[in-house]
Amino acid sequence: MERRNFIKISALTGVAATLDACRAPDKQLIRFIPEENLIPGIAVWKPSICTLCSAGCGLQVRVMQGDAEVERHGERGLIKMGLAKRLEGSPQNPINAGKLCARGQAGLQVLYHPDRITKPIKRSGARGSGQFQAISWDDALKELTSHLTALQASRSANALAFLARPLRGQRRELIEKFLTAFGAPPAVWYEPFDEAVLRQANLLSFGHAALPTLDLARADYVISFGADFLGTWNSPVAQSIGYGAMRRGRPGRRGKFVQVESRMSQTGANADEWIACKPGTEGVLALGIAHVILSQKLAPQSIASPAASRAGSQIAGWSAGLPEFTPEAVEKQTGVSAAVMTRLAHEMTLSGAAAAIVGGAPLAQTNGLFSALAVNALESLVDANRDEGPILGFTPEPPLSNAGEPAAPAQASFARLNSFAQSVLSGKAGTPQMLMLYDANPIFSAPPATKIREAIARIPTIVSLGSFIDETSAQADLILPDNAPLESWLDSVPESGSFQSLIGLAPPAVSPLHETRPMPDVLLGVAQHLGGDLAKALPYATFDAMLKAALLPLRAQGGSVAAKTDDDFWQSVQTQGGWWSAPAAAGWKSAAAKPAAMPQGKQASHALTAPEFAGSATDFPFYFQPYLTPSFGDGSTAHLPWMQELPDALTTAMWSSWVEIHPKTGAMLGIQQGDLVEIASQAGSLRVPAVLSPGIAPDLLAMPVGQGHENFGRFASGHGANPLSILAPVVEPSTGSLAWAATRVKLARVGGPEQAKLVLFAGGMSGFPHDEKPR
Amino acid sequence: MAHKWGLVVDLDRCTGCEACVVACHAENNVPTVGKDQAAIGRAMQWIRVERSWEGDFPNPKVRFQPVLCQQCDAAPCEAVCPTYASYHTEEGLNGQAYNRCIGTRFCANACPYTVRSFNFFNPSWQKPLNLQLNPDVSVRSVGIMEKCTFCVQRIKSAEIQAEAEKRDLKDGELTTACAQSCASKALVFGDLNDPNSEVSRLASSNRAAKLMGELGTKPNVTYLDRGAWQDAKNS
Repeated sequence: MERRNFIKISALTGVAATLDACRAPDKQLIRFIPEENLIPGIAVWKPSICTLCSAGCGLQVRVMQGDAEVERHGERGLIKMGLAKRLEGSPQNPINAGKLCARGQAGLQVLYHPDRITKPIKRSGARGSGQFQAISWDDALKELTSHLTALQASRSANALAFLARPLRGQRRELIEKFLTAFGAPPAVWYEPFDEAVLRQANLLSFGHAALPTLDLARADYVISFGADFLGTWNSPVAQSIGYGAMRRGRPGRRGKFVQVESRMSQTGANADEWIACKPGTEGVLALGIAHVILSQKLAPQSIASPAASRAGSQIAGWSAGLPEFTPEAVEKQTGVSAAVMTRLAHEMTLSGAAAAIVGGAPLAQTNGLFSALAVNALESLVDANRDEGPILGFTPEPPLSNAGEPAAPAQASFARLNSFAQSVLSGKAGTPQMLMLYDANPIFSAPPATKIREAIARIPTIVSLGSFIDETSAQADLILPDNAPLESWLDSVPESGSFQSLIGLAPPAVSPLHETRPMPDVLLGVAQHLGGDLAKALPYATFDAMLKAALLPLRAQGGSVAAKTDDDFWQSVQTQGGWWSAPAAAGWKSAAAKPAAMPQGKQASHALTAPEFAGSATDFPFYFQPYLTPSFGDGSTAHLPWMQELPDALTTAMWSSWVEIHPKTGAMLGIQQGDLVEIASQAGSLRVPAVLSPGIAPDLLAMPVGQGHENFGRFASGHGANPLSILAPVVEPSTGSLAWAATRVKLARVGGPEQAKLVLFAGGMSGFPHDEKPR
Repeated sequence: MAHKWGLVVDLDRCTGCEACVVACHAENNVPTVGKDQAAIGRAMQWIRVERSWEGDFPNPKVRFQPVLCQQCDAAPCEAVCPTYASYHTEEGLNGQAYNRCIGTRFCANACPYTVRSFNFFNPSWQKPLNLQLNPDVSVRSVGIMEKCTFCVQRIKSAEIQAEAEKRDLKDGELTTACAQSCASKALVFGDLNDPNSEVSRLASSNRAAKLMGELGTKPNVTYLDRGAWQDAKNS
């Protein structure tokens, strides 16, 4: 082609392109006016709070100016705005002191997830079909308020139900006030692994209905009964900081760590001594050790201490020295040798500051409360009467009327969900007609026997306030998407992890990327619109006004923020990322929260009950233990690509789920590494690849929770299977908590590695990529 | 005096939590490759946590070990690069000049620690995940070898800042993304030429060892042995 012609043609096509762009404005990128005043290339660190688990770690967010492609009022364009580039722990925060776990750092991908709902949508196809159409915020809010006014008009305000993950702080306060003023029943807070058993046990043993805070940095000896305290349990970052110091923070003094469990967890893998114990007999083992301490008078000064007598009084036979729990008797039940028990009792009482903690699978048995009380009794025996205070304590409540530890533990969330589902399915008058959903996904995370899927399908109107489509919110008729946490006003009242009382608070770190609105502001706006009691109960235009009103009383309390005026105080709290009380001198001595008085008339002590399982040992020969992983938690972070591609600590598996089987069991059933197996319980069956692991009892199968999503975005859907879907609805009777480790299963090989498609980081090269399709 | 950057990995503190792995992905724009590519061993990690199993139930033992580029003084990867893309920096790092790399993968073959990742495809971040990218670190394209840089962007920025303020770098003033996130303080980064730095102190511990030190690669990453209960007095 001649040069002249080429110029002609390109000029013409250029003109055509310009004309084309004029005709279809949605195809061109407009430059919106920047909203903020950031200097290009200069990073600013802003405070925020991690919301990916309940620990409430403080964040600092690296914000830099960048170009983002956004949509505003139906037009796409580029905008210069502050963009979050990195999440690190906040160095001042008393819980995480500058550190952050793998999941917490992936919070960035919640903000930038390609599957986030970017604007209000309304169902346009059949329910659950996934067909939605975009509507304006005005229309969406009009629709929401019209549903609510219709309920009010027909005098059926009690037919409004609210289902959310357990929240703390002002978000919870807001939802509770909203529901009360509206006349609706209290919210259903649902989380399958909700620790109700441990809170109940801690109330009885220690007088605190809360999770414990551990001063591991001072510990010389820690025995953990099933608690995955370095991975997923309680406040893992705070506990990991303490653990590092316990190991090598004091020259010449290295604490010993013993883990008791039947499947080696990531935490157990770090133990100096790992003790396998039959599922459901962990409490018995604790009492066997306590028996040795009591009978050989190894801790003479602790036995009579008030703490030990309180926790001990919960256990039948304690004052008589636990005659039924001789090491020999305990050996028969637990499979742990009497010699080991005796040695542990001696080590524990001779090696300085010792602590016994319990968490995870032992509490998810039908005798979970007994096991917890038994370990608590042992804890009070080995961890009392020390000058610096015990290793195990409780975070003091913030000095606010409406924050902190409840007097009694809330109803177990599984029991609450069950009664909710039953009331919907009963079809009686006054049953829920409208459901508001926020960040809870029971269709994925509740056992099918709850019939929550069927119950939700029956509810005429479902409105979701969440940011993503998941199995539950896919059933919604209307979705008013929330801002991402980094775009929101956040507060947190951490239950544990800090020796100081603490309230986290942070303004939005970045402005909203999409046309979303914060859930609290939506509720406050609706309250104002509906007027009456609602407007009176929630007299705030926006959530930050509500937060400010709630936190200002802290100014008089001193602590981390010294301010002369309320406005100064409010500013400083925001820059610091919260408020905390002055640090205690050392450990718990001056910080210890006061225990609640022993409940009167409830002095009955607890006697051992054998764990019960769903399914007979002959038909279902294996115990089955679902377990939480640091990457996915209860499955709510399975949509983050960083979490999917993070190799599992013990198996290196990624992008898949698997079942851990002992090689002996595998050999017996002809199962090899990577084979496809079927696991069946009374409640259902599933297929997953097998991983042969030496770290699991031969009569136990263990499977990670979090995968097996049917409908949770492009990165989570269609990988692996969901172990919660084959759980029988067994409960711990005193709390109504789901006993998620009390289902028995059977196992069979159904296919080879080609069908199973196990993806491992290590050893993934075994199949040479010769037949791979070019991309 | 010139700096000589080093890292100490205390295996007794490491819990295998892999916070360092995600921190590295976030800081250095390391791409995720998806299930199909991961299945054929193409997942990219500049730092990985290895585990080794010993024994059998009821007495199994696991050891976690974070492995990253050892920044060797006598680096096998550098000698084999035909284009000098793998080179030695003045501060002792094994540098990788992306725009010189032609993708022979000789360096990955030569590295005894298998810590180099190859870009088999152009990385992609589905919009708006691209907004998470760290603007301080270039994104590598198809055919390029990449590896741990000891967060050289953080080193450079701290050095420039210190020079502008006409002062020396302080110990602890800068750290890598992996060490920054490490809750149990298993990873400690610093200047080995500063005898008072924490990393120098730890690297001279009698628990110290080099990974495959017998190969003579002279790594600048030092591992501290786990030790056992009541062994602590020797630390």
